[in-house]
This record gives sequence, C-alpha cells and structure tokens, in this order.
Amino acid sequence: MTTRLDRPAPEAAGAAGVPTPEALDAVLTGPDGSGALGAEADSAERFPAELHARLADFGLSAHYVPPEHGGSLDDHERLLRLWHVVARHDVSAVVAHGKTYLGAAPVWIAGDADQTTSMAAAVLSGRAVAWGLSEPDHGADLRHGSVTAAREGDGYRVDGVKWPINNATRGDFMTLLARTGPAGSPRGHSLFLVDKAALAPGSARPRPKVATHGVRGADISGLEFAGARLPETARIGAEGTGIETVLLALQLTRTMCAALSSGAGEHALRITARFAATRLVQRRPLSARPRPAAILARCAALLAGVEAASLVAARSAHALTGEMSVTSAIVKPLAPAVTDAVISDLAELLGVRSYLVDHHEHGAFQKLSRDHQVVAVFDGSTPVNRAALAQQFPRLVRGRAGAVADTSGLAEAVALGTGPRPLDHSALTLVSRRGCTVVQALPRPVGDDGPPGLAEHVLALHDLIDQVTGLMAEIPPAALPAMPAYELAAAYELCYAGAACVHLWTACAEQHADEPLWQDGLWVRAALRALTHRMTRILRIAPPVPAPGDDELDAALTNRVAEAALHGAPVTPFGIGEAHGR
Amino acid sequence: MDAEKTSPHGGLPGAALTGSAMDALLGDPAEETNPVGRTAVLAADERREMLAEGEKLLDAVVLNAEFVPAGLGGRFTSVPRLAEVLRAVWRRDPSLGAGYGFSSFLAAVNVWCAGDAAQRRHTADVLLGGDRVAVAFHELAHGNDFAQAEFQARAQGGGWQLTGRKETIANLCRARALVLFARTGAAVGSRSHSEFLLDKAELPAAGWCDLPRYHTSGMRGLQLGGMEFTDCPIPGTALIGAPGQAVEIALRAFQITRSMFPAVCVGSLDTALRITLDCALERRLYGGTVADIPFVRSTVARAFADLLAIDALASVGVRALHLAPESTAVYASASKFLGPRMMLDAFEDLRAVLGAQGYLRQGPHALFQKLFRDAAPITFTHASRGACLSTILPQLPRLARRSWLSGPAGPADLFDLDAPVPPLDFQRLAVGMPTTDGVIGALAEMAENVRAPGREDPLSRLVARFGAELGELRSRCAELSPSDLTMDAPAAAYELAERYTVVLAAACALAVWRAGGERHPGRPDAGLLGVLDRLCGRLPGAGVLTATERASVEAQLFDLAVARFTDRALFDLTARPIPG
Repeated sequence: MTTRLDRPAPEAAGAAGVPTPEALDAVLTGPDGSGALGAEADSAERFPAELHARLADFGLSAHYVPPEHGGSLDDHERLLRLWHVVARHDVSAVVAHGKTYLGAAPVWIAGDADQTTSMAAAVLSGRAVAWGLSEPDHGADLRHGSVTAAREGDGYRVDGVKWPINNATRGDFMTLLARTGPAGSPRGHSLFLVDKAALAPGSARPRPKVATHGVRGADISGLEFAGARLPETARIGAEGTGIETVLLALQLTRTMCAALSSGAGEHALRITARFAATRLVQRRPLSARPRPAAILARCAALLAGVEAASLVAARSAHALTGEMSVTSAIVKPLAPAVTDAVISDLAELLGVRSYLVDHHEHGAFQKLSRDHQVVAVFDGSTPVNRAALAQQFPRLVRGRAGAVADTSGLAEAVALGTGPRPLDHSALTLVSRRGCTVVQALPRPVGDDGPPGLAEHVLALHDLIDQVTGLMAEIPPAALPAMPAYELAAAYELCYAGAACVHLWTACAEQHADEPLWQDGLWVRAALRALTHRMTRILRIAPPVPAPGDDELDAALTNRVAEAALHGAPVTPFGIGEAHGR
Repeated sequence: MDAEKTSPHGGLPGAALTGSAMDALLGDPAEETNPVGRTAVLAADERREMLAEGEKLLDAVVLNAEFVPAGLGGRFTSVPRLAEVLRAVWRRDPSLGAGYGFSSFLAAVNVWCAGDAAQRRHTADVLLGGDRVAVAFHELAHGNDFAQAEFQARAQGGGWQLTGRKETIANLCRARALVLFARTGAAVGSRSHSEFLLDKAELPAAGWCDLPRYHTSGMRGLQLGGMEFTDCPIPGTALIGAPGQAVEIALRAFQITRSMFPAVCVGSLDTALRITLDCALERRLYGGTVADIPFVRSTVARAFADLLAIDALASVGVRALHLAPESTAVYASASKFLGPRMMLDAFEDLRAVLGAQGYLRQGPHALFQKLFRDAAPITFTHASRGACLSTILPQLPRLARRSWLSGPAGPADLFDLDAPVPPLDFQRLAVGMPTTDGVIGALAEMAENVRAPGREDPLSRLVARFGAELGELRSRCAELSPSDLTMDAPAAAYELAERYTVVLAAACALAVWRAGGERHPGRPDAGLLGVLDRLCGRLPGAGVLTATERASVEAQLFDLAVARFTDRALFDLTARPIPG
C-alpha cells in the first residue's frame, strides 16, 4: 500500500530551512505536472485548483506576509524567484495565488496593529484576498471611482460595484478603495479592509465570473455592494489617504509582476529552443541557421535583460525604497512589453506548434502567450505607468546630470542572494527625490578590463542614456502627456535594464565564471546589444556600430541556450534549471 | 465539345461578386438579430464551430465560383476583385473566411497552374458543386520545409501508393478533393516531389484514416484535420503536371496565394480599429473620453497608417499578378513577409488602448480578443517569414545590378487601384529570375524628381530618404556573394531583404497615391505622410519627420479615422461605405 509517507518528500527546504525555488519547481513538475493540469483547467475554464493546492501546501502564502507580522517576506528577491518558477509552469496559477500578495500589500503599509494581525492570520492560514480597485467605468482612473463609503452612524455604508476584480468571489477579504469625500479630489478616497464573512447577507453580492482571453480559469469576477456596513476599524489609515496608500502599495506589487513575465518568457524560450535544436531543415537543426539563431539569441538576450531588471528592482524595494515610484513605473511596463514581443518572435519560429491546443507540450505555448498578455493590461497598464514615469522626467534628468546616487543602496540592490535590509514601508514615497540610482550610477568603463566588446557596449549605453535624458528635458509637463513622452519612457526602461545588466555583471561575474552563459561576458554583451537596438528603434536613431565580437554572439548564445533547454539547465544568467520530467 | 468549358452547372446566380456586395450580404455587424452579426460570430467561436449561417450565406452566393476561372464556368477573373471580396469576409470573421473556402482556393490554384484539362474540369466541378478542396502539403515533422517532406508516393503499376501523414490541414475532413504533395524521388533537391489531385471518395477505405481534429487557440471554428495513409493506391491520372514538378508548381501557386494572403487578412485590422475607436469615443476616463487622451490619438493614427501601408503593398501585389507577373516571385513574398508583421504589431498597439476591454470575451468589445487570436498565426501560416525572405534574397543581387535606379517604373495601371486588370495568365507566373522591378522603378523616378534644390517639405524629404535607402541597398545587394544567398546566409544578408520589403512598401504607397491624383489635389496627404513615417520607422537609422511634423500628421490621421468611423466607411484605401 502506498501512503503519503512512501512518496519521496520534495526537498522543501534549503540549507537554512528556507523554501527554495528549486523545491517549488519540483513540486510543480513530475508526471502529474503542471503542463497537463494547466492545459486542462484552461480548456475547461476551471480554476487551477490542483496547482493552487500545491502552492498552498508549499507554503507560498507565508511569503506574502512580512516577518514582523509572522511571515517570510523578508526578501523580495526570494518572492520574485518563487513567482518566476510558478509562472514558468503556469501563469494562471501564479495570477490566481499571487493576487493575495497584491490584496494584502496595502495593509502592511498603512494598517494598524489589529488590521495587520488579522490580515497576517488570514493569509498565513491560506485565505485569499482581493484588491478592490477597478470599476466597470474606471480602470486605473482611481480618482473617479464611484464606489462610495458614506459615513453612517459609527461606521460606513458602502455602495457600488467593483469589477473586474481577481479573487472577488474566492477571496474572503477585499482591500477596498471607496470614495469618502468629494468626487475627483485627490483626498476623496479611503481604503477599507473588508471581511466578507462579517457583512450582512445580501449586502455584498458576487458578480459572475468574466470570460477572459487568457488566465481563463482565474476568478475574475466582481463584488456589488448594496448598503454593506463597515465599522470604523475597517478603515485602513486616515480618511482620505486611500489613493496614496494604494499608490505606495502599487510600487511593490507592480515591481513583483515582472516575475510573471520573466517566467512566461523563459517557458516560451525553452519550448522554442528545444524545437529549434531538434527540428531538422535540410538535415541541419533550425538553431544552426543564421537567421533563426539570430532570432533565438535576441530573445534570450532580451529575457536576460528583463531578468536583470526585475532582480535589481525587487531588491530595490529594500535597498532603494525611496526610488520605488520610479522603479515600479519602469519595470511594470518593461517586463511585459519586452516579453510579449519575445513571445511573438518565438511563435514565428515555432510555427503551428505555437498555436495548437492539444499538441506539443500540452499546447503550452498558446496558453502561456494568452495568459501572459494580461500582464501588460492589469495592475497599472503599460500606458498608465509610462505616463506616471513621465511625471518624474525632471528628476530623472537632474539625477543623470548630477550623477546622483545612493551607492550603498545600489550595492545592496545588486548583491543577489544575500539577505537585504528590512523593508521600511515608511520610506516609500510618491515621488523619487533621487531619481533612479541604477541608471544614474552606471559606471563608465575603465581601461581594457573585461570581455572584448563590453566596454564599447557600456559606452553606447551611456550615450543613449544621455540622449534619452536630453530629450526628456524637452518634454513639457502634462497630466496626460503626448506620445513622445511614452516613447521616452519606453526607452528609459531599456536604459534601466541595460544598467541593471552592467551592475549585475560587475557584482556577480566572478562567482559565475564557470557557467556557459557567463563566459566571455556572452550574456551581458548580447543583452546590451539587444536592449540598445530596441531602444534605437523607439528613438528613431541609428543603432550603435557593432562592438568587437558582436558577430559571434548569435551562434554562441543560441548554441548554449539550445543545449541548456535540451538538458533542463538554466537558460538565463541568474536562472535555475528544470526539475526532470515535464 | 470543349472539355474545359463544359460545365453541368449552367448559369450561376448573379454576376461576379464585389466587396460592396459581400458587405451588403453580411449586413450590419452590430445588429443583434443578424445571423452573421458580431454576436453570432463570437458565439460560434466559443463553441469552436464554423459560423453556420455564414457558410450558408456563402453557399447561397456560390462563393466557390469566385475560385474557378471564368473559362471553366466560374467567376474568377481578377485577383484584386477576389481579394476585395474575401477581405470583406475577413472583416466580419477571419475564421469564416479561412474555413469556408480560402483553402479551396489555395488548393485549386495548383490545378489552374498545372493541371490537365480533365483535372481542371474536375476541380471546377467540385467547387461549383459547393464542395471543398483541401491543400495537403503540411506534415508536422517538416512544416513549411515541404521539400523535405517525408510523405511518400511510390510508383506502383500505372499509379502510385501513398504512405505517410498529413497534419493540420484546413478542411481536410470536409473536403471532397485534395491537392496533395508527396515525395516521389529519393534524390536531395527540389525535383523529388510531385503533386496529386485526389478524390477522397475514390480512395480505398483500407488505405487511409482520418486523424483527430487539431484544436487551435484562435481560428477556433476552423476544422484542421489530418489523414494517415498506408500503401494507399491512387491512379496515374492523379498526378498533376510531370513527376518531380511539385516544387515548381507550388512556387508558382504561392505567388498568387502569398500575394492574396495579406490583401485579405488586413480586413480584420479594419474591424479591430473600428472596435478601438468605438470604445475610445464612448468610454470616459480622467474627466474626458478615452479618445481625448493624446497617447490614444497617436496610437489610433499609427494603426490607421499601418493599415494603409499594408493595403498599399498588398493591393499593388495582387495587381502585379496581372500587370507585372515577371516580378511577383519577389513581390508576393515581400507582401507576405511585411504585411502580417505590421498587422500583428498594430493589433498589439491597439490592445494597449483597449486595456482590460481588449482582454474580455464578453461585453461590447469582445470581438477584439477573437480577432487578435485569429490573427496570431498570420506571420507563420501558409509561408513562414523565413521562407519568404529565402525566396526574395537570391533575387536581389540581380535586381540591384540590372534594375534598381536604372529600370523604368511599372505600368501606370499597376498603381491605379480603380483600373481594370487584364486576365490572369497562370503560365506567366514563371518561377524564373526577375530582371525588372517596376515598383522600385516608380520610387527611383520620384526620388530623382525631389533632388531639385528647395524641396524641404516633409514628403520630399521622405522620398529622398527612401531613395537613399534604395541606393544603399543597391550597393550592398550587388556585392552579395553566392554564399550570402543560401539558406545559411548571414543574418546581415537577410536584413537587406527585410529592408527591401520596407522600401518596396514605401514605393507602392507613393505610386498609389500619385496614381490616385485627383483625390488629393495640391497639399500633401496626411495618410501618405503617415504611411511613409511608419515605414521609415522600420528602417534602421534616423527618422525624417520632426516631432512637430509627426504630431501634426498624427492629429490629422486621427481626425480622418474618426470621420471614417462616424461615416461608417472603411479605413483602407477604398474608404468605401459599409453597412451599419
């Protein structure tokens, strides 16, 4: 008889007893793995319950609660890596489970002791939380939200509809943004912690599940409040601080969304690289031909750039906390924009297999593509974040000109794998006084040190940063800027990614010296080339001249990525391998 | 009696279809009770079924007759007209367009090019009788690289025996006839494959079986099937053309089908743009409508310009089949390479405007996500972009040396979208080596004209830019060595071919606008400037328009787009009114 005890226990804890991404990967892999389960749930439009249960068993929820409230969220790099692994298996699963992190985030920032205690207890016991921001007629336009919380007796009376909201129905709790003051005013909204179980029956009715293009099984539904009563103690923070708290929380949640993109992108790259390495065209693999190799290499390079940006950004939550308004506005659009483009380019190579639902790794490609397409749209769409970054152009211009930097914060932001300082929520600010240290503190290359071509790439990046900030200086201030501002924001995002690559190369090259992607600076040179090319397209300027060794990058990178994909080894510089069995 | 012309079908209902006629047939998409309206289209997609009422409607007008040459009793005379008719279907439902009969056309073209009289008669009869023909080239093991196909036809007695699988073939299950591609020789190279025309009913049951239907993420109603053959005997008369001629026939047929493909599928971008404007003009955010947001206005303007660019290139491409067939080996692949990529990029840009509304499968804008899913394969279906570039690249050195900047512009009618076309001569679609490039010739002429001093207006500068790009391409392509032209050509060589497709598109736009003369008297047209700006952005290097000029062009384009939307007119070059 086989019992639970007979099954080999997954290595749930690393050396220090801390759950690892490798262990989570193992939990999601296996003969009864995410591929078939995820595909079936997607087809049937069912909530991915089995995968969700595995995440719960693994204890992923503990990573949504800060240590001061009894959880394990002492390192956003770790959370990012855990989410990346889940996304690499199934984006729907991480969207479904991860929503609780988003819903709880405002409470850690502005909740009082009772609120943080009850939220921690709920999340640690596996309850789901929703974030009630969106309304049918107001997406990110929070100031025009029409759900009202009117003072009534010693509490509030809530009316209106929040929709479309992830976890609205499954969630036991909702952090709700509602109007408590005059419409359109910046201090007219307040945040509330709603315990649905404590509401009078019928005063908050679920709205039905919405049929979506991707993440089809996710609980994207709504909640209709009709005279729901909330006590004073449900209000998070002072009256009128709702939008401010939301904006601060978004600085963290938007940054963490990058894991969804990096995971989906890596999955797409692996599928396509495996195909290209084994697909013979006139007796040679597709990956051996120059044009497919160039495409694969470019995609791998761009994903390395996204990875670098997301890791530095996640650690910046701890180490460069006061800059998160800029960091989040950069990384939230950067990751899905680049990843959507990468997935589209990879689909061209993969061909019909990128489109079939029941074939080729359980139709994983078409599912991850549709699922991933939600990332650019939710939690602050790409245009919303770019417009937000544009509001801070003057600071970014001044920061570059003055080479302003928090050098010790940067050092900690790039010290991957080390425990960062505790996240001081009170250091989150609506604007970044210092601009963006990661870009502003990009060092100029010194002498001939480093792999061939790297210095040239870094100099080219500096040149582009100067051009971008020069153009930013000419953008007139506007609440809703003209298109050039969005293009400059997109270019600056790529500057950030490039700078992150350089910083991480410098900080980490020695410890990765033996790894194939690191030899001769392969990944960082390829990433800089790909990022700068993408930037010059946006800016409509000539690309930099090829650096020494550039003509060898495509074949070298494609060969290593293809090899790695075939054997389950890492395909990005900071990535992990795949547990065996798919 | 002339075997070719005899047809049992006698007189067919109605004259040849037009785009307007098809639009009228399909009616108002927003009308809830329209059996082929938006609601019905979405419902069929949810059920993974073809739009049954749509198929009935197309049956009733015998759309298949548009695929059969007039000489065989059908109504096919003009590729531009057929493209216009099918584009109207794509505007309503790409799955209906692809699933009803586009694949029948793709198959039949092989027979029109190379079939004998009996084969042409039989294929015509199948189509005119309302049945389908499937084009069975594809097997998953080798995809677009059909010259490597493993599917075999072994000579046996006076006929052949078929062994192997055909996979992901549109309408294979529903087709009465197949045009099938098989290996008939062992040698490496392109003369080892042959094409066959088969009637499914005549195949012995023991020799084949159906494979289960292949489901896809989009085009969900499309019936993709497969067949597995095991020593299945077919008669010698099934062979199309000569043994070993398959690749040659296919490459000729591809000139028609690769040209048509973007001309037809761009219809769905028209609808996507319409949905986006509908949403933007009505939804309120930040104290105004979404359409008041500058980012939205620019994005709409750019997508509109992209649509016009795709249309210009595709429209000239299909006209070239009639008026410059010596060049279509290159033009067809250029259009198939560039058009679908521009279209997918435009869809992605519009998606950013719609936000969550573009992600829902319900609500007033639900059609967007279906069109988006349906469009996803256009860059790899039928011909991969790599295959298109591999077709173009080897031709460029010769064209560079013998035609670019020295050869004349093509005939005026090539660029006059309203002019009638002479009959299509399938035999002139030679798989040869083009020595003339009349579209580029038109650009060269215009570039020469702007060299006079004082031509600093935006249009002249854009023309000069494309002229300069042409000059550079000419030098670089003339220097390409034979090893730069093979499948293993370096990425830099392929990049030249990519740049060529962009210059070609610009040339098409310039020539079409010039031919459209009286429509735009005097002042430069924002549409042309917008098109050229978008194409310029696909070339490496500096742009031409200043930020101020671009803002002005985009503002005008946005207003024009809104006018087209409000007036219920198409966004394409025809600007034709549509129902609703």
